[in-house]
Amino acid sequence: MLTTIAIVLGVAFVLPAVWILLGSFRPNLEILTTMSPLSWHTIIPSELTLENYRRLLVDSGFTRALFNSFFVCLVSVVMGLLMSSLAAYAVAVFTFPARNVVFAVIVISFMIPFEAIAIPLAQQFTDWGLGNTYVGLILPGIGNGLAIFNLRQHFLSIPASYREAAMLDGASEPRILFSLYLRLSGPALTNSALLIFLGQWTAYLWPLLIVSDNDLQLAPVALAGTFGEHAADYGQNFAGAVVLSLVPAFSVFVLQRFFGRLSIGSGEK
Amino acid sequence: MSTATSAGRSSATRRRSTIRRRELFWAAIFLLPALTSLVVLRIVPTIGAVVDSLYKAFPGGIIPATFAGLHNYRSLFDDPNFVDTIARTLIFNLIINPLQICLALLVAVLFVQRIPLVGIWRTMLFIPVTIPIVGSCIAWGAALDPQGPVNALITALGGEPQPFFTSPNQALACIIVLASWIGIGYWMLFLIAGLQSIPGELYDAAKVDQAGPVRTFFSVTLPLLRRPLLFVLVADTVANFVLFVPVQLLTQGGPQGSTTLLMFEAWRTTYGYGSRNLGAAQVVILTAIMLVFVLLQFRLLREDKDNR
Repeated sequence: MLTTIAIVLGVAFVLPAVWILLGSFRPNLEILTTMSPLSWHTIIPSELTLENYRRLLVDSGFTRALFNSFFVCLVSVVMGLLMSSLAAYAVAVFTFPARNVVFAVIVISFMIPFEAIAIPLAQQFTDWGLGNTYVGLILPGIGNGLAIFNLRQHFLSIPASYREAAMLDGASEPRILFSLYLRLSGPALTNSALLIFLGQWTAYLWPLLIVSDNDLQLAPVALAGTFGEHAADYGQNFAGAVVLSLVPAFSVFVLQRFFGRLSIGSGEK
Repeated sequence: MSTATSAGRSSATRRRSTIRRRELFWAAIFLLPALTSLVVLRIVPTIGAVVDSLYKAFPGGIIPATFAGLHNYRSLFDDPNFVDTIARTLIFNLIINPLQICLALLVAVLFVQRIPLVGIWRTMLFIPVTIPIVGSCIAWGAALDPQGPVNALITALGGEPQPFFTSPNQALACIIVLASWIGIGYWMLFLIAGLQSIPGELYDAAKVDQAGPVRTFFSVTLPLLRRPLLFVLVADTVANFVLFVPVQLLTQGGPQGSTTLLMFEAWRTTYGYGSRNLGAAQVVILTAIMLVFVLLQFRLLREDKDNR
Protein backbone atom coordinates (compact mmCIF):
# COMPACT_ATOMS: atom_id res chain seq x y z
CA MET A 1 0.00 0.00 0.00
CA LEU A 2 2.67 2.49 1.09
CA THR A 3 4.83 1.28 -1.75
CA THR A 4 2.08 2.01 -4.27
CA ILE A 5 1.68 5.55 -2.93
CA ALA A 6 5.45 6.06 -3.06
CA ILE A 7 5.62 4.87 -6.67
CA VAL A 8 2.63 6.96 -7.79
CA LEU A 9 4.09 10.07 -6.11
CA GLY A 10 7.52 9.49 -7.58
CA VAL A 11 6.15 9.01 -11.08
CA ALA A 12 3.84 12.03 -10.81
CA PHE A 13 6.73 14.27 -9.80
CA VAL A 14 9.15 12.98 -12.34
CA LEU A 15 6.75 12.89 -15.28
CA PRO A 16 7.02 16.59 -16.28
CA ALA A 17 10.81 16.28 -16.09
CA VAL A 18 10.76 13.18 -18.28
CA TRP A 19 8.51 14.98 -20.73
CA ILE A 20 11.08 17.82 -20.98
CA LEU A 21 13.99 15.42 -21.29
CA LEU A 22 12.44 13.27 -24.01
CA GLY A 23 10.92 16.31 -25.69
CA SER A 24 14.35 17.86 -26.05
CA PHE A 25 15.30 14.93 -28.34
CA ARG A 26 12.27 15.05 -30.61
CA PRO A 27 11.30 17.42 -33.43
CA ASN A 28 9.49 20.51 -32.19
CA LEU A 29 6.48 19.84 -34.40
CA GLU A 30 6.08 16.41 -32.82
CA ILE A 31 5.94 17.91 -29.32
CA LEU A 32 3.20 20.26 -30.44
CA THR A 33 1.09 17.69 -32.30
CA THR A 34 1.30 15.01 -29.60
CA MET A 35 0.35 17.31 -26.69
CA SER A 36 -3.34 16.61 -27.17
CA PRO A 37 -5.22 14.29 -27.30
CA LEU A 38 -3.48 12.14 -24.75
CA SER A 39 -1.77 9.01 -26.03
CA TRP A 40 1.42 7.21 -25.23
CA HIS A 41 3.04 9.38 -27.92
CA THR A 42 2.55 12.41 -25.64
CA ILE A 43 5.55 11.15 -23.69
CA ILE A 44 7.26 8.60 -25.93
CA PRO A 45 8.93 10.04 -29.04
CA SER A 46 8.52 8.29 -32.37
CA GLU A 47 11.59 10.00 -33.77
CA LEU A 48 14.81 11.01 -32.01
CA THR A 49 16.94 13.94 -33.10
CA LEU A 50 19.72 16.19 -31.81
CA GLU A 51 18.42 19.04 -33.93
CA ASN A 52 17.14 21.00 -30.90
CA TYR A 53 20.55 20.88 -29.25
CA ARG A 54 22.27 21.81 -32.49
CA ARG A 55 20.06 24.85 -32.93
CA LEU A 56 20.40 25.80 -29.27
CA LEU A 57 24.15 25.44 -28.94
CA VAL A 58 25.33 26.33 -32.46
CA ASP A 59 22.80 28.74 -33.96
CA SER A 60 21.64 30.74 -30.94
CA GLY A 61 23.75 32.73 -28.51
CA PHE A 62 23.11 30.19 -25.76
CA THR A 63 26.62 28.74 -25.75
CA ARG A 64 28.02 32.16 -25.09
CA ALA A 65 25.51 32.64 -22.26
CA LEU A 66 26.47 29.26 -20.80
CA PHE A 67 30.11 30.27 -20.82
CA ASN A 68 29.22 33.55 -19.08
CA SER A 69 27.24 31.67 -16.43
CA PHE A 70 30.12 29.28 -15.85
CA PHE A 71 32.63 32.05 -15.52
CA VAL A 72 30.45 34.10 -13.17
CA CYS A 73 29.74 31.04 -11.01
CA LEU A 74 33.37 29.98 -10.70
CA VAL A 75 34.67 33.42 -9.80
CA SER A 76 31.78 33.90 -7.35
CA VAL A 77 32.50 30.60 -5.61
CA VAL A 78 36.21 31.39 -5.23
CA MET A 79 35.62 34.94 -3.99
CA GLY A 80 32.64 33.92 -1.89
CA LEU A 81 34.46 31.08 -0.14
CA LEU A 82 37.42 33.34 0.55
CA MET A 83 35.29 36.10 2.00
CA SER A 84 33.06 33.72 3.95
CA SER A 85 35.87 31.70 5.49
CA LEU A 86 37.79 34.83 6.51
CA ALA A 87 34.69 36.23 8.20
CA ALA A 88 33.67 32.90 9.71
CA TYR A 89 37.17 32.36 11.11
CA ALA A 90 37.18 35.82 12.66
CA VAL A 91 33.88 35.33 14.49
CA ALA A 92 34.63 31.72 15.44
CA VAL A 93 38.18 32.05 16.72
CA PHE A 94 39.03 35.57 17.82
CA THR A 95 37.64 37.28 20.87
CA PHE A 96 36.80 40.90 20.34
CA PRO A 97 34.09 43.24 21.57
CA ALA A 98 30.59 42.78 20.13
CA ARG A 99 31.63 39.61 18.35
CA ASN A 100 28.19 38.03 18.40
CA VAL A 101 26.57 41.23 17.23
CA VAL A 102 28.95 41.41 14.27
CA PHE A 103 28.19 37.78 13.45
CA ALA A 104 24.42 38.27 13.68
CA VAL A 105 24.50 41.42 11.56
CA ILE A 106 26.56 39.75 8.82
CA VAL A 107 24.44 36.59 8.65
CA ILE A 108 21.09 38.35 8.86
CA SER A 109 21.92 40.92 6.20
CA PHE A 110 23.16 38.26 3.82
CA MET A 111 20.13 36.11 4.53
CA ILE A 112 17.64 38.69 3.32
CA PRO A 113 16.95 37.36 -0.16
CA PHE A 114 19.00 39.33 -2.52
CA GLU A 115 15.98 39.83 -4.81
CA ALA A 116 14.35 42.10 -2.22
CA ILE A 117 16.96 44.83 -2.67
CA ALA A 118 18.05 43.93 -6.20
CA ILE A 119 16.21 46.88 -7.74
CA PRO A 120 17.88 49.70 -5.73
CA LEU A 121 21.22 47.86 -5.93
CA ALA A 122 20.95 47.66 -9.71
CA GLN A 123 20.38 51.41 -9.82
CA GLN A 124 23.50 51.99 -7.67
CA PHE A 125 25.57 49.62 -9.79
CA THR A 126 24.47 51.36 -12.97
CA ASP A 127 25.42 54.74 -11.44
CA TRP A 128 28.86 53.31 -10.60
CA GLY A 129 29.35 52.12 -14.17
CA LEU A 130 29.04 48.44 -13.26
CA GLY A 131 26.12 47.78 -15.58
CA ASN A 132 27.01 45.32 -18.36
CA THR A 133 30.21 44.11 -16.64
CA TYR A 134 31.27 40.77 -15.20
CA VAL A 135 32.15 42.55 -11.94
CA GLY A 136 28.57 43.76 -11.73
CA LEU A 137 27.28 40.24 -12.29
CA ILE A 138 29.63 38.58 -9.82
CA LEU A 139 29.77 40.87 -6.77
CA PRO A 140 26.22 40.50 -5.40
CA GLY A 141 26.45 36.71 -5.52
CA ILE A 142 29.48 36.27 -3.26
CA GLY A 143 27.78 37.06 0.04
CA ASN A 144 25.66 34.22 1.40
CA GLY A 145 24.47 34.27 5.00
CA LEU A 146 24.06 30.53 5.31
CA ALA A 147 27.51 29.91 3.83
CA ILE A 148 29.09 32.08 6.52
CA PHE A 149 26.88 30.51 9.18
CA ASN A 150 27.81 26.96 8.18
CA LEU A 151 31.53 27.68 8.07
CA ARG A 152 31.52 29.44 11.43
CA GLN A 153 29.60 26.56 12.94
CA HIS A 154 32.12 24.12 11.57
CA PHE A 155 35.13 26.17 12.69
CA LEU A 156 33.73 26.22 16.22
CA SER A 157 33.84 22.42 16.24
CA ILE A 158 37.60 22.36 15.54
CA PRO A 159 39.44 22.06 18.88
CA ALA A 160 41.21 25.26 19.94
CA SER A 161 44.28 23.20 20.85
CA TYR A 162 45.02 22.66 17.13
CA ARG A 163 45.29 26.39 16.67
CA GLU A 164 47.41 26.85 19.78
CA ALA A 165 49.79 24.15 18.59
CA ALA A 166 50.11 25.80 15.18
CA MET A 167 50.78 29.14 16.87
CA LEU A 168 53.57 27.62 18.93
CA ASP A 169 55.07 26.47 15.63
CA GLY A 170 55.04 30.12 14.60
CA ALA A 171 52.20 29.90 12.08
CA SER A 172 50.48 33.20 11.29
CA GLU A 173 46.68 33.54 11.41
CA PRO A 174 46.19 33.39 7.62
CA ARG A 175 48.34 30.30 7.57
CA ILE A 176 46.34 28.63 10.34
CA LEU A 177 43.14 29.37 8.44
CA PHE A 178 44.33 28.20 5.04
CA SER A 179 46.48 25.24 5.87
CA LEU A 180 44.76 23.99 9.02
CA TYR A 181 41.12 25.05 9.32
CA LEU A 182 40.16 24.88 5.65
CA ARG A 183 41.77 21.47 5.28
CA LEU A 184 39.54 20.19 8.05
CA SER A 185 36.41 21.73 6.56
CA GLY A 186 35.71 19.68 3.42
CA PRO A 187 31.95 19.12 3.74
CA ALA A 188 31.29 22.60 5.11
CA LEU A 189 33.16 24.07 2.14
CA THR A 190 31.21 21.88 -0.29
CA ASN A 191 27.99 23.07 1.27
CA SER A 192 28.95 26.72 1.10
CA ALA A 193 30.38 26.46 -2.41
CA LEU A 194 27.18 24.81 -3.56
CA LEU A 195 25.02 27.52 -2.00
CA ILE A 196 27.01 30.23 -3.77
CA PHE A 197 27.20 28.29 -7.03
CA LEU A 198 23.50 27.51 -7.22
CA GLY A 199 22.58 31.04 -6.21
CA GLN A 200 24.51 32.37 -9.19
CA TRP A 201 23.61 29.57 -11.60
CA THR A 202 19.89 30.09 -11.13
CA ALA A 203 20.06 33.89 -10.80
CA TYR A 204 17.46 35.47 -13.00
CA LEU A 205 16.29 38.83 -11.69
CA TRP A 206 19.78 40.28 -11.16
CA PRO A 207 21.24 39.60 -14.64
CA LEU A 208 17.94 40.80 -16.07
CA LEU A 209 18.40 44.13 -14.28
CA ILE A 210 22.12 44.69 -14.70
CA VAL A 211 22.87 43.36 -18.20
CA SER A 212 21.37 44.60 -21.44
CA ASP A 213 24.24 43.50 -23.68
CA ASN A 214 23.43 40.08 -25.18
CA ASP A 215 27.10 39.02 -25.22
CA LEU A 216 27.19 39.25 -21.43
CA GLN A 217 23.87 37.66 -20.68
CA LEU A 218 23.63 34.64 -18.39
CA ALA A 219 22.06 31.33 -19.38
CA PRO A 220 18.72 31.50 -17.47
CA VAL A 221 17.86 34.91 -18.91
CA ALA A 222 18.99 33.83 -22.37
CA LEU A 223 16.76 30.77 -22.11
CA ALA A 224 13.81 32.85 -20.96
CA GLY A 225 14.51 35.18 -23.88
CA THR A 226 14.16 32.38 -26.43
CA PHE A 227 10.95 31.29 -24.65
CA GLY A 228 9.40 34.70 -25.18
CA GLU A 229 10.58 35.17 -28.77
CA HIS A 230 9.38 31.99 -30.43
CA ALA A 231 6.73 30.88 -28.00
CA ALA A 232 6.16 27.60 -29.80
CA ASP A 233 9.76 26.40 -30.10
CA TYR A 234 9.41 23.97 -27.21
CA GLY A 235 12.09 21.65 -28.61
CA GLN A 236 14.78 24.27 -28.19
CA ASN A 237 13.36 25.51 -24.86
CA PHE A 238 13.33 21.98 -23.45
CA ALA A 239 16.89 21.38 -24.64
CA GLY A 240 17.94 24.58 -22.85
CA ALA A 241 16.18 23.50 -19.67
CA VAL A 242 17.94 20.12 -19.80
CA VAL A 243 21.36 21.74 -20.27
CA LEU A 244 20.69 24.17 -17.40
CA SER A 245 19.64 21.29 -15.11
CA LEU A 246 22.60 19.05 -15.88
CA VAL A 247 25.13 21.56 -14.67
CA PRO A 248 23.95 21.72 -11.00
CA ALA A 249 23.80 17.92 -10.84
CA PHE A 250 27.27 17.70 -12.33
CA SER A 251 28.68 20.40 -10.05
CA VAL A 252 27.41 18.64 -6.93
CA PHE A 253 29.37 15.64 -8.10
CA VAL A 254 32.55 17.61 -8.84
CA LEU A 255 32.38 19.62 -5.61
CA GLN A 256 32.00 16.43 -3.57
CA ARG A 257 35.05 15.01 -5.26
CA PHE A 258 36.94 18.19 -4.57
CA PHE A 259 35.96 19.04 -0.99
CA GLY A 260 34.25 15.96 0.40
CA ARG A 261 30.77 14.70 1.00
CA LEU A 262 27.84 16.99 1.34
CA SER A 263 25.95 17.06 4.57
CA ILE A 264 22.36 18.16 4.65
CA GLY A 265 21.35 18.87 8.21
CA SER A 266 18.16 20.33 9.57
CA GLY A 267 19.46 23.90 9.55
CA GLU A 268 21.76 23.80 6.59
CA LYS A 269 20.67 24.58 3.10
CA MET B 1 60.29 38.65 46.25
CA SER B 2 57.12 40.74 46.12
CA THR B 3 58.53 42.87 43.31
CA ALA B 4 59.31 39.73 41.31
CA THR B 5 55.69 38.48 41.55
CA SER B 6 54.22 41.82 40.57
CA ALA B 7 56.65 42.04 37.66
CA GLY B 8 55.59 38.53 36.60
CA ARG B 9 51.93 39.42 36.87
CA SER B 10 52.29 42.62 34.88
CA SER B 11 54.22 40.86 32.13
CA ALA B 12 51.44 38.25 31.99
CA THR B 13 48.81 41.02 31.67
CA ARG B 14 50.99 42.65 29.08
CA ARG B 15 51.23 39.39 27.16
CA ARG B 16 47.47 38.93 27.39
CA SER B 17 46.83 42.44 26.13
CA THR B 18 49.30 41.92 23.25
CA ILE B 19 47.37 38.77 22.30
CA ARG B 20 44.15 40.69 22.51
CA ARG B 21 45.49 43.53 20.37
CA ARG B 22 46.88 41.07 17.85
CA GLU B 23 43.54 39.25 17.64
CA LEU B 24 41.69 42.53 17.20
CA PHE B 25 44.05 43.42 14.39
CA TRP B 26 43.53 40.12 12.56
CA ALA B 27 39.79 40.15 13.23
CA ALA B 28 39.57 43.57 11.59
CA ILE B 29 41.52 42.38 8.55
CA PHE B 30 39.58 39.13 8.21
CA LEU B 31 36.23 40.85 8.56
CA LEU B 32 37.08 43.66 6.16
CA PRO B 33 35.93 41.96 2.91
CA ALA B 34 32.66 40.74 4.43
CA LEU B 35 31.88 44.06 6.11
CA THR B 36 32.78 46.06 3.00
CA SER B 37 30.54 43.99 0.77
CA LEU B 38 27.85 44.14 3.41
CA VAL B 39 27.93 47.91 3.32
CA VAL B 40 28.17 48.15 -0.46
CA LEU B 41 25.75 45.37 -1.38
CA ARG B 42 23.16 45.62 1.37
CA ILE B 43 23.27 48.78 3.42
CA VAL B 44 23.91 51.32 0.66
CA PRO B 45 21.05 50.06 -1.56
CA THR B 46 18.69 49.83 1.42
CA ILE B 47 19.45 53.40 2.44
CA GLY B 48 19.21 54.36 -1.22
CA ALA B 49 15.76 52.83 -1.43
CA VAL B 50 14.61 54.52 1.78
CA VAL B 51 15.88 57.92 0.59
CA ASP B 52 14.42 57.46 -2.91
CA SER B 53 11.09 56.48 -1.42
CA LEU B 54 10.89 59.84 0.38
CA TYR B 55 11.27 61.84 -2.83
CA LYS B 56 8.86 62.54 -5.60
CA ALA B 57 9.69 62.85 -9.28
CA PHE B 58 7.92 62.59 -12.59
CA PRO B 59 8.75 59.53 -14.67
CA GLY B 60 11.34 60.56 -17.23
CA GLY B 61 13.24 62.62 -14.70
CA ILE B 62 13.92 65.99 -16.33
CA ILE B 63 12.64 67.92 -13.33
CA PRO B 64 14.79 67.13 -10.25
CA ALA B 65 13.10 65.07 -7.54
CA THR B 66 11.66 66.96 -4.59
CA PHE B 67 11.39 65.83 -1.00
CA ALA B 68 7.93 64.50 -0.36
CA GLY B 69 8.12 62.83 3.06
CA LEU B 70 5.79 59.89 3.31
CA HIS B 71 3.79 60.94 0.27
CA ASN B 72 4.72 57.83 -1.75
CA TYR B 73 3.69 55.49 1.03
CA ARG B 74 0.42 57.35 1.51
CA SER B 75 -0.42 57.22 -2.17
CA LEU B 76 0.48 53.52 -2.29
CA PHE B 77 -1.84 52.66 0.57
CA ASP B 78 -4.55 54.89 -0.90
CA ASP B 79 -4.34 52.92 -4.13
CA PRO B 80 -6.75 49.98 -3.93
CA ASN B 81 -4.68 48.08 -6.51
CA PHE B 82 -1.59 48.21 -4.32
CA VAL B 83 -3.55 47.24 -1.21
CA ASP B 84 -4.88 44.31 -3.24
CA THR B 85 -1.32 43.39 -4.22
CA ILE B 86 -0.20 43.35 -0.57
CA ALA B 87 -3.27 41.33 0.42
CA ARG B 88 -2.71 38.94 -2.50
CA THR B 89 0.95 38.47 -1.57
CA LEU B 90 0.01 37.72 2.04
CA ILE B 91 -2.80 35.31 1.11
CA PHE B 92 -0.55 33.63 -1.45
CA ASN B 93 2.03 33.05 1.28
CA LEU B 94 -0.56 31.95 3.82
CA ILE B 95 -1.66 29.25 1.39
CA ILE B 96 1.51 28.13 -0.35
CA ASN B 97 3.84 27.84 2.64
CA PRO B 98 1.72 25.69 4.98
CA LEU B 99 0.61 23.66 1.95
CA GLN B 100 4.14 22.95 0.80
CA ILE B 101 5.40 22.14 4.27
CA CYS B 102 2.44 19.85 5.09
CA LEU B 103 2.89 17.94 1.86
CA ALA B 104 6.66 17.85 2.32
CA LEU B 105 6.11 16.46 5.82
CA LEU B 106 3.72 13.78 4.55
CA VAL B 107 6.13 12.60 1.86
CA ALA B 108 9.05 12.78 4.30
CA VAL B 109 7.16 10.53 6.75
CA LEU B 110 6.32 8.20 3.87
CA PHE B 111 9.90 8.02 2.67
CA VAL B 112 11.39 7.07 6.04
CA GLN B 113 9.19 3.95 6.16
CA ARG B 114 10.49 0.58 5.08
CA ILE B 115 9.57 0.58 1.41
CA PRO B 116 11.39 -1.32 -1.33
CA LEU B 117 13.70 0.91 -3.40
CA VAL B 118 12.81 3.94 -1.26
CA GLY B 119 15.91 5.82 -2.43
CA ILE B 120 14.66 5.81 -6.02
CA TRP B 121 11.20 7.23 -5.19
CA ARG B 122 12.81 9.84 -3.00
CA THR B 123 15.19 10.87 -5.77
CA MET B 124 12.26 11.13 -8.19
CA LEU B 125 10.65 13.69 -5.90
CA PHE B 126 13.89 15.61 -5.70
CA ILE B 127 14.46 15.80 -9.46
CA PRO B 128 12.28 18.92 -9.96
CA VAL B 129 14.56 20.76 -7.52
CA THR B 130 17.53 20.29 -9.84
CA ILE B 131 15.76 22.03 -12.73
CA PRO B 132 16.38 25.79 -12.67
CA ILE B 133 13.15 27.67 -12.20
CA VAL B 134 13.26 29.16 -15.70
CA GLY B 135 13.21 25.60 -17.07
CA SER B 136 10.34 24.59 -14.77
CA CYS B 137 8.34 27.63 -15.83
CA ILE B 138 8.78 26.74 -19.51
CA ALA B 139 7.74 23.14 -18.82
CA TRP B 140 4.65 24.05 -16.81
CA GLY B 141 3.77 26.86 -19.17
CA ALA B 142 3.69 24.25 -21.95
CA ALA B 143 2.02 21.55 -19.85
CA LEU B 144 -0.75 23.89 -18.66
CA ASP B 145 -1.35 25.40 -22.07
CA PRO B 146 -5.11 25.23 -22.75
CA GLN B 147 -4.24 22.85 -25.62
CA GLY B 148 -1.55 21.12 -23.58
CA PRO B 149 -1.08 17.64 -22.12
CA VAL B 150 -2.70 18.37 -18.72
CA ASN B 151 -5.95 19.30 -20.43
CA ALA B 152 -5.55 16.25 -22.65
CA LEU B 153 -5.34 14.16 -19.48
CA ILE B 154 -8.40 15.87 -17.98
CA THR B 155 -10.35 15.26 -21.18
CA ALA B 156 -9.24 11.64 -21.28
CA LEU B 157 -10.55 11.24 -17.73
CA GLY B 158 -13.86 12.75 -18.84
CA GLY B 159 -13.46 16.28 -17.42
CA GLU B 160 -13.84 19.72 -18.92
CA PRO B 161 -10.66 21.39 -20.27
CA GLN B 162 -9.49 24.18 -17.95
CA PRO B 163 -8.18 27.66 -18.90
CA PHE B 164 -5.29 27.54 -16.32
CA PHE B 165 -2.94 30.53 -16.78
CA THR B 166 -5.46 32.37 -18.96
CA SER B 167 -8.10 32.56 -16.22
CA PRO B 168 -7.95 35.10 -13.36
CA ASN B 169 -9.43 32.43 -11.08
CA GLN B 170 -6.81 29.77 -11.81
CA ALA B 171 -3.54 31.51 -12.71
CA LEU B 172 -2.32 32.00 -9.14
CA ALA B 173 -3.27 28.41 -8.27
CA CYS B 174 -1.19 27.27 -11.26
CA ILE B 175 1.79 29.21 -9.91
CA ILE B 176 1.25 27.50 -6.54
CA VAL B 177 1.29 24.09 -8.26
CA LEU B 178 4.45 24.97 -10.17
CA ALA B 179 6.28 26.30 -7.10
CA SER B 180 5.19 23.31 -4.99
CA TRP B 181 6.37 20.86 -7.62
CA ILE B 182 9.82 22.25 -6.85
CA GLY B 183 9.34 23.10 -3.17
CA ILE B 184 7.95 19.82 -1.83
CA GLY B 185 11.00 17.76 -2.84
CA TYR B 186 13.38 20.40 -1.53
CA TRP B 187 11.86 20.83 1.93
CA MET B 188 11.27 17.06 2.14
CA LEU B 189 15.04 16.61 2.38
CA PHE B 190 15.31 18.80 5.47
CA LEU B 191 12.37 17.07 7.13
CA ILE B 192 13.76 13.61 6.35
CA ALA B 193 16.99 14.66 8.07
CA GLY B 194 14.91 15.85 11.03
CA LEU B 195 12.90 12.63 11.15
CA GLN B 196 16.02 10.50 11.04
CA SER B 197 17.47 12.30 14.04
CA ILE B 198 14.52 11.22 16.23
CA PRO B 199 15.78 8.33 18.40
CA GLY B 200 14.28 4.97 17.48
CA GLU B 201 13.65 4.06 21.14
CA LEU B 202 10.85 6.59 21.29
CA TYR B 203 9.02 4.72 18.56
CA ASP B 204 9.65 1.44 20.36
CA ALA B 205 8.21 2.97 23.53
CA ALA B 206 5.14 4.12 21.58
CA LYS B 207 4.74 0.61 20.26
CA VAL B 208 4.93 -0.80 23.79
CA ASP B 209 2.18 1.63 24.77
CA GLN B 210 0.18 0.26 21.84
CA ALA B 211 -0.15 3.65 20.18
CA GLY B 212 -1.38 3.47 16.58
CA PRO B 213 0.47 5.16 13.70
CA VAL B 214 -1.68 8.31 13.86
CA ARG B 215 -1.28 8.62 17.63
CA THR B 216 2.48 8.03 17.31
CA PHE B 217 2.72 10.69 14.63
CA PHE B 218 0.95 13.33 16.73
CA SER B 219 2.49 12.54 20.10
CA VAL B 220 6.05 11.48 19.15
CA THR B 221 6.99 12.66 15.66
CA LEU B 222 5.33 16.05 15.52
CA PRO B 223 6.56 17.45 18.88
CA LEU B 224 10.12 16.32 18.20
CA LEU B 225 10.03 17.73 14.71
CA ARG B 226 8.83 21.14 15.85
CA ARG B 227 12.08 22.97 15.27
CA PRO B 228 12.98 21.67 11.80
CA LEU B 229 9.36 22.25 10.81
CA LEU B 230 9.44 25.86 11.99
CA PHE B 231 12.75 26.39 10.25
CA VAL B 232 11.59 25.13 6.87
CA LEU B 233 8.32 27.04 7.22
CA VAL B 234 10.13 30.32 7.79
CA ALA B 235 12.76 29.62 5.12
CA ASP B 236 10.04 28.69 2.65
CA THR B 237 8.16 31.90 3.43
CA VAL B 238 11.29 33.96 2.86
CA ALA B 239 11.79 32.28 -0.51
CA ASN B 240 8.18 32.57 -1.65
CA PHE B 241 7.88 36.23 -0.68
CA VAL B 242 10.26 37.16 -3.48
CA LEU B 243 8.90 34.66 -6.01
CA PHE B 244 9.35 36.46 -9.31
CA VAL B 245 10.27 34.25 -12.25
CA PRO B 246 6.91 32.48 -12.89
CA VAL B 247 5.03 35.75 -12.68
CA GLN B 248 7.37 37.60 -15.00
CA LEU B 249 7.75 34.74 -17.45
CA LEU B 250 4.27 33.24 -17.58
CA THR B 251 1.61 35.74 -16.55
CA GLN B 252 3.11 39.24 -16.38
CA GLY B 253 0.96 39.73 -13.28
CA GLY B 254 -2.25 38.95 -15.15
CA PRO B 255 -4.82 37.99 -16.15
CA GLN B 256 -6.59 41.02 -14.64
CA GLY B 257 -3.85 41.48 -12.06
CA SER B 258 -4.64 38.13 -10.44
CA THR B 259 -0.99 37.09 -10.14
CA THR B 260 0.55 40.47 -9.31
CA LEU B 261 2.72 39.76 -6.27
CA LEU B 262 4.69 42.41 -4.41
CA MET B 263 8.11 41.55 -5.87
CA PHE B 264 6.79 41.67 -9.42
CA GLU B 265 4.89 44.88 -8.68
CA ALA B 266 8.07 46.61 -7.42
CA TRP B 267 9.91 45.53 -10.56
CA ARG B 268 7.12 46.66 -12.88
CA THR B 269 6.68 50.00 -11.12
CA THR B 270 10.40 50.73 -11.37
CA TYR B 271 11.23 49.41 -14.83
CA GLY B 272 7.88 49.09 -16.59
CA TYR B 273 6.32 52.36 -15.47
CA GLY B 274 9.58 54.19 -14.77
CA SER B 275 8.51 55.41 -11.30
CA ARG B 276 11.74 54.98 -9.44
CA ASN B 277 10.52 56.60 -6.24
CA LEU B 278 7.25 54.74 -5.98
CA GLY B 279 9.12 51.52 -6.78
CA ALA B 280 11.60 52.32 -4.01
CA ALA B 281 8.76 52.66 -1.51
CA GLN B 282 7.50 49.23 -2.56
CA VAL B 283 10.99 47.78 -2.14
CA VAL B 284 11.20 49.24 1.37
CA ILE B 285 7.86 47.66 2.31
CA LEU B 286 8.99 44.33 0.88
CA THR B 287 12.36 44.44 2.64
CA ALA B 288 10.74 45.35 5.97
CA ILE B 289 8.44 42.31 5.75
CA MET B 290 11.38 40.08 4.76
CA LEU B 291 13.49 41.32 7.65
CA VAL B 292 10.92 40.11 10.18
CA PHE B 293 11.00 36.61 8.71
CA VAL B 294 14.79 36.51 8.41
CA LEU B 295 15.19 37.53 12.06
CA LEU B 296 12.90 34.67 12.99
CA GLN B 297 14.84 32.26 10.77
CA PHE B 298 18.16 33.33 12.28
CA ARG B 299 16.84 32.74 15.80
CA LEU B 300 15.62 29.27 14.89
CA LEU B 301 18.86 28.43 13.14
CA ARG B 302 20.88 29.48 16.12
CA GLU B 303 18.87 27.69 18.77
CA ASP B 304 18.79 24.65 16.58
CA LYS B 305 22.59 24.55 16.38
CA ASP B 306 23.30 25.53 19.94
CA ASN B 307 21.04 22.89 21.37
CA ARG B 308 22.91 20.09 19.70
